[in-house]
Amino acid sequence: MNGITATWLLTVRAFRESLKQPANELPNAFIPLFFYVVTVGAIGSVAQNAFGVADYKGFQLPVAVLQGAAGVANGAGLAMTLDIQSGYFEKLALTSTPRLAIVLGRMLADAIKAVILAGAIIVLALLYGSEFKTGIPGMAVLMAATFGFALAYSGIGVAIALKTGSPQAAQAGFIVFFPLLFLAPTFAPIEVFAAWLEAVARLNPVTYILLGMRSLVTEGWDAAALAKGGVAVLAIGAVTLTLTLLALRSRVRQ
Amino acid sequence: MLAIEATGLTKHFGPTIRAVDGIDLRVEEGQIFGFLGQNGSGKTTTVRMLATLTRPTAGTARVAGVDVLANPAEVRRRVGVALQEVGLDELQTGRELLELQGRLFGQSAREARERAAHLLEVVGLADVADRPIRGYSGGTKRRLDLACALVHGPRVVFLDEPTTGLDPVSRDAVWRYIEELNRGQGVTVFLTTQYLEEADRLADTVAIMDQGKIVAQGPPGELKASIGTDSIMLTFEAEESAARAAAVLGQFEGVQRVLTSGQEVAVYLHDGASAVAAIVRLLDEAGAPAQTLVLKQPTLDDVFLQVTGHHLDVEDARPAAPSSGRNA
Repeated sequence: MNGITATWLLTVRAFRESLKQPANELPNAFIPLFFYVVTVGAIGSVAQNAFGVADYKGFQLPVAVLQGAAGVANGAGLAMTLDIQSGYFEKLALTSTPRLAIVLGRMLADAIKAVILAGAIIVLALLYGSEFKTGIPGMAVLMAATFGFALAYSGIGVAIALKTGSPQAAQAGFIVFFPLLFLAPTFAPIEVFAAWLEAVARLNPVTYILLGMRSLVTEGWDAAALAKGGVAVLAIGAVTLTLTLLALRSRVRQ
Repeated sequence: MLAIEATGLTKHFGPTIRAVDGIDLRVEEGQIFGFLGQNGSGKTTTVRMLATLTRPTAGTARVAGVDVLANPAEVRRRVGVALQEVGLDELQTGRELLELQGRLFGQSAREARERAAHLLEVVGLADVADRPIRGYSGGTKRRLDLACALVHGPRVVFLDEPTTGLDPVSRDAVWRYIEELNRGQGVTVFLTTQYLEEADRLADTVAIMDQGKIVAQGPPGELKASIGTDSIMLTFEAEESAARAAAVLGQFEGVQRVLTSGQEVAVYLHDGASAVAAIVRLLDEAGAPAQTLVLKQPTLDDVFLQVTGHHLDVEDARPAAPSSGRNA
């Protein structure tokens, strides 16, 4: 079996799974939109005077997109543990398909879902009054970055799932994201951070993904910011996909 | 030609657990091979190694002519596997599951659709094919799992305790389907079971597995004949009485073998019917009267007791007695 075809078939299967359980996807859409509206409502009117951000709706838009992507991507690990516990993972492993396709199919499905959610968040943010400086091409780049981030981030939950087979452990992958998000310029520009927090934020790859995405919304085309964001996505992806491959190897070579 | 050939197949988990301890297997093409043993004896680990799901610690194995270590993907193309726990995605329908499985074995969309429809008919699930699997009964899921194992037309099929937990009607349906698969289509079936009746009815050759080793192997009829023609099963009030009786019966003329298991004593001898009265008298005189006495023709249970020293301890509900015996 061709690995690409197998991956696509398993992506479709995972996607179809979401269509059969739409309620499972609602929190992934609700939580980032809720935080977006509440944060903009609470801080938006003082953001200009407090830290010089005129378009706080645009400033917060990439945060909502990343939150949504992380929520969706975290589902890959949980779904993988369910496949492992039900024995379906082994049923798939008994086919002649490359075993990596079993993992990639699941991760790709969640990355595609994250892109769809990002599109919905952008539309709602625009309706809410946000601007998007780079227009439709910028939106496409932001969604491509979302795809990369979701694919890379889902590797954390999937690696934990393959290693432990435990849904509780796989969901703990989401805990990794929150410190990374809040140790980044999420609510305010990095320049107003305390020195220690700024130092930590500058070591945090999510900072560069956020700044790259934000540049598309609030500033216009900034090649340096986009390049740094792209490198950060690749760095996260390199780590998580390596962990995923090691965990997969460990599971199928018991 | 051999469908399965293993030499010194071994699986250790950690330094102390020897799940499978250097077994040799030779399964002829077209056979139903019964792998009999109780839970934890190493049956499932053996199947997992032969099906490429578990890597052996030592030894070699060839399945359908292919080395399981050198070319596991090719082995998977040639074998079908239904593990003890049915591994189904309960959100899919039966048809979706079979079609996806077929596609993952390289079938075109049309081939997969036609094959799935055929198998659903064969296992009698055509009427529920488009319902989500989560609504299926245990027996229905088992039949779908069997169909799943056959979706790519394998020449060797591993069935790991295919009837455990099934009601008698579903069990009989699975038995008939396995027979049809083997006799009608010539598929080699490697069947693990903890049910003596199942092995006796279905298997051409039986291997008895105990504590990771194969302790007996052969056609059921030969195995039964090897332990003597008749057996007398006796139960006693206490283990001490059973031990005393065993010592006395060991001296009885014509007795080939005496085995004790708790309060039970099994006596193997020729022409048991004519010895019953004398044995009863002898036990009374020895102060160890039997509470019950049953004269039996040899069964696989006797073979199991003889080669392992204990009865087959089946934790699950036993299957109903089969309506006919293939190897009786």
